[in-house]
Amino acid sequence: MALVHKLLNGTYILRKSLKPSGASCPFLSTRFADYCSSSLQKPAATPSKVSAQRNSAGGLQGDHQREVALDVTSPEEKPEVSFDKAIRDEIKEHFWRLKDEIVNHWIGPEGRPMQEVILEQARVIWQFRGKEDLDKWIVTSDKTIGGRSEVFLKMGKNNQSALLYGTLSSAAPQDGENSQSGYCAMISRIPRGAFDRKKSYDWSQFNTLYLRVRGDGRPWMVNIREDTDFIQKSNQMYSYFMFTRGGPYWQEVKIPFSKFFFSNQGRIRDAQFQLLLDKISSIGFTLADKVDGPFFLEIDFIGVFADPAHTEEFAYENSPVLNPRLFK
Amino acid sequence: MNPATFSLIIVTMMSGTLLVLMSSHWFLVWVGFEMNMLAIIPLLTKQHNPRSTEAATKYFLTQATASMLLMMAAIINLMYTGHWSILKMINPMASITMTTALAMKLGLSPFHFWVPEVTQGIPLSSGLILLTWQKLAPLSILYMISPLMNLNLLMIMALLSIAIGGWGGLNQTQLRKIMAYSSIAHMGWMISILIYNPTMTLLNLYIYIPMTITTFSLLMMTSSTTTTSLSHTWNKLPLITTIMFITMLSLGGLPPLTGFLPKWLIIQELAKNDNIAMSTIIALLALLSLYFYTRITYTTSLTMFPTSNNTKITWQFKHPKRMTCLSPMIIISTLMIPISPLMSILE
Repeated sequence: MALVHKLLNGTYILRKSLKPSGASCPFLSTRFADYCSSSLQKPAATPSKVSAQRNSAGGLQGDHQREVALDVTSPEEKPEVSFDKAIRDEIKEHFWRLKDEIVNHWIGPEGRPMQEVILEQARVIWQFRGKEDLDKWIVTSDKTIGGRSEVFLKMGKNNQSALLYGTLSSAAPQDGENSQSGYCAMISRIPRGAFDRKKSYDWSQFNTLYLRVRGDGRPWMVNIREDTDFIQKSNQMYSYFMFTRGGPYWQEVKIPFSKFFFSNQGRIRDAQFQLLLDKISSIGFTLADKVDGPFFLEIDFIGVFADPAHTEEFAYENSPVLNPRLFK
Repeated sequence: MNPATFSLIIVTMMSGTLLVLMSSHWFLVWVGFEMNMLAIIPLLTKQHNPRSTEAATKYFLTQATASMLLMMAAIINLMYTGHWSILKMINPMASITMTTALAMKLGLSPFHFWVPEVTQGIPLSSGLILLTWQKLAPLSILYMISPLMNLNLLMIMALLSIAIGGWGGLNQTQLRKIMAYSSIAHMGWMISILIYNPTMTLLNLYIYIPMTITTFSLLMMTSSTTTTSLSHTWNKLPLITTIMFITMLSLGGLPPLTGFLPKWLIIQELAKNDNIAMSTIIALLALLSLYFYTRITYTTSLTMFPTSNNTKITWQFKHPKRMTCLSPMIIISTLMIPISPLMSILE
């Protein structure tokens, strides 16, 4: 299954770094922008990449005169496309991950000793210190439905933060189906184990989400999704707002998990349920404030901690008028 | 829940199990299982949230599949023997299908995947009913058809269940999942002795049920579902902390507590039937389960876990939760070893 997935995403080119090939992105339409989460300087790279391939295919034209962009492999080391070796490497990698999982299971939950897990009061889940941290996120925008917003994710200055930037455009796509548009989102990838099994986070010792961000004054929405295997569950989401201040100072946003409200298929429901923290799949940030123009959000790290002063379990009540079924 | 509805559901669930226990026709057994399953579904979704709906759905799907397999086995038996009576199943196909169906109902390995997830998604009281009352009906059928069951299948399932119950519970901080893995391991112990001496299966069940009821009652009393929240009880209810300690060790099978009695007798029966390898292996695997019980007792009772208040002990008000029969249950689940000579009447 994982191999089919990889094959559908583009040619699996056997490279030294075993990353999904960034070179395949320019050849696909921008609809697939969400698969390329690493630093995108693609429009500049495209012409030289194409010319590099053409020249190497031609063979005899001046190697010394060609301008090669920095993220392109040099023609001497031609990437070999080898199907069998790729499959074997993939299988070996999965068994290696399985062995790691078994050893980690022996040590403790997620590979850390149990005492550490029980006693810990704060944990940094995602931080942005290098390109590989960006690969844990997917950026999407309404380009997937035909809109015109653009969003990019790259590392910030000195590799100390991640910068999510782009342009929001609420011009509706003229396809007769969508009358509204204009959103951008950054969603974390669901952690995968051996054989691409979905794993989840267990945050039940914590009760508050902590984000260190620097925004431009726009209101963002933080969405948390739980286990996404079932169809009905994959439409469910818990959200809350994050208001950013513009300005040169870093902002520390603390959102208790009790404040998250429940929505299904994009609509906030009358029946509200508490966010249960033992099987969290992914977290995401969405911008959809109907204001056209450029935006940016710089994120230092995302963590969770246990706030002992916060004793609220759930911030919303269900009303017997709206939902008599819940009170039977 | 509306008291009338609640009573109706409980009565239906109990009559489903009683129907299975008392009937001599395979069709009525199937009817009893279905009644039981359908009646417990509203109990699983007592707290209305998406997680409990997911748990109830998973429970329903596995149990419905198991009921279908049960019916299939009964019909194969009908084809080969010509009657619907519940006697031992002569045809091996029917016997194996029935064993598989009942293993799915009990949550034995390799059909154990639903137990931790369903137990985790439901409130503690529903979890209690799921792990104790729901085991009665399948085990009674297993007892009745035990003479001609396939030994290899049962031994493999028992071994796998004890191993997975021990291994899976190792890293859990969620108490309901720990109880689920404990249930899987105990079912493994019960099945391991089924062919040789089915009375020991029943003995293990009779001791497992009070121990589980005691543990769940203590968890309900402290309303704790994670190890961290349980570890704050030393501050509030120190007596419960001590009793939790003893009950957990009893669940783990540590002598001289009650939980040791079934394990000891099962190992003795297995050795009497020249099955030394199996008895050694399951005794060693029981250490895995004992490890995670001991870890809970360590964080709860043997250490003073850091809490958020500064007092050594909080003011003791009268406890609002009324736990019926908690004291006798505690006694039964911890101090019954001295009556083990009476077990000879079970021979």
